[in-house]
Amino acid sequence: MLGYIVIGLPCGLMENSIGLPPWACFVISCTFYSGAGQFMIPNMLLSAAPLYSVIASVSFVNTRQILYSAAFAPYFSGASRLLSFLFSATVTDESFGVNMERFSSDSRWTGVNALLVNVFSMLTWASANAVGCALGAILDLPLAITSFAMTSIFICLLVMQKLCKQTAVVIVVACLGVALCKVVGLGGPAILLGAVAGVLAGLVVGSGGGDEA
Amino acid sequence: MSTQDFLLLYGTVLVTMLVCRCVPMFVLKGRDLSPKVKEAIGLIPAAAFAALVANDLFQPSVLATDVVAGMIPFVAAIPVIVVAKKTDSLIWSALVGMAAYAVLMFFCR
Repeated sequence: MLGYIVIGLPCGLMENSIGLPPWACFVISCTFYSGAGQFMIPNMLLSAAPLYSVIASVSFVNTRQILYSAAFAPYFSGASRLLSFLFSATVTDESFGVNMERFSSDSRWTGVNALLVNVFSMLTWASANAVGCALGAILDLPLAITSFAMTSIFICLLVMQKLCKQTAVVIVVACLGVALCKVVGLGGPAILLGAVAGVLAGLVVGSGGGDEA
Repeated sequence: MSTQDFLLLYGTVLVTMLVCRCVPMFVLKGRDLSPKVKEAIGLIPAAAFAALVANDLFQPSVLATDVVAGMIPFVAAIPVIVVAKKTDSLIWSALVGMAAYAVLMFFCR
């Protein structure tokens, strides 16, 4: 949650720069709830990007949520529709990692536990955004440094994965896929395309002979 | 940007986000997944996090104009990997990452 505060403050500052009031930052953070998306929108609007381009780019980047939702489906086979909706509507990159690790390692971990993780994370994120927006121009945090907190969290979640031959192939292909997409100008869908390429490569390699490293 | 344009932007990205987040959960819920689908789903976390990390670290436009600046995220990632391996802590990883990035920016610019 400290990571959400560290990243949420500058995100709120950026949202303030396009004229959003703190209450709107809070509402957007609780509904749209996407760190990458909420950073992208002010960035693109400030650089005078056309409306359709902002919508398409942000939507493309967030298509990775399809993968997260699919990954959780087996754990919610017996859950109510309301719980399934509330949980899936509040999954993010960070809470995905935390809950996936819990579900796979702790048989007592329930959908309600997972939802609470999401809700507390969301409220922390929304509060940090609102405070950052309220502070406005008073705070002058270097965004390059504070946004690396989000990158560091992704690195940690990646390091926590069990490494074997198959996952090594998945990771390498996903990274190369993203790099290739960005080089040829497909920066928007790079994350989704890279991740899908990684999964497909992993399936081709198969889990046979996947000795743990 | 007008309020109407912003509401259109917000409404559209909100709907696409909810579709991406919720539809797969309801479509796949309760179904007996084939072993191949289960295997694919099991590979998603590693693939997604690798893609997210690569997307953040690799900035071809920055590398093309300033190699040193483009390498800063890669170098800053090294201590994060070490700390993440030793602690499994998201917070410590985030703090070490920001500190490493700040130090590198100070010395390299």
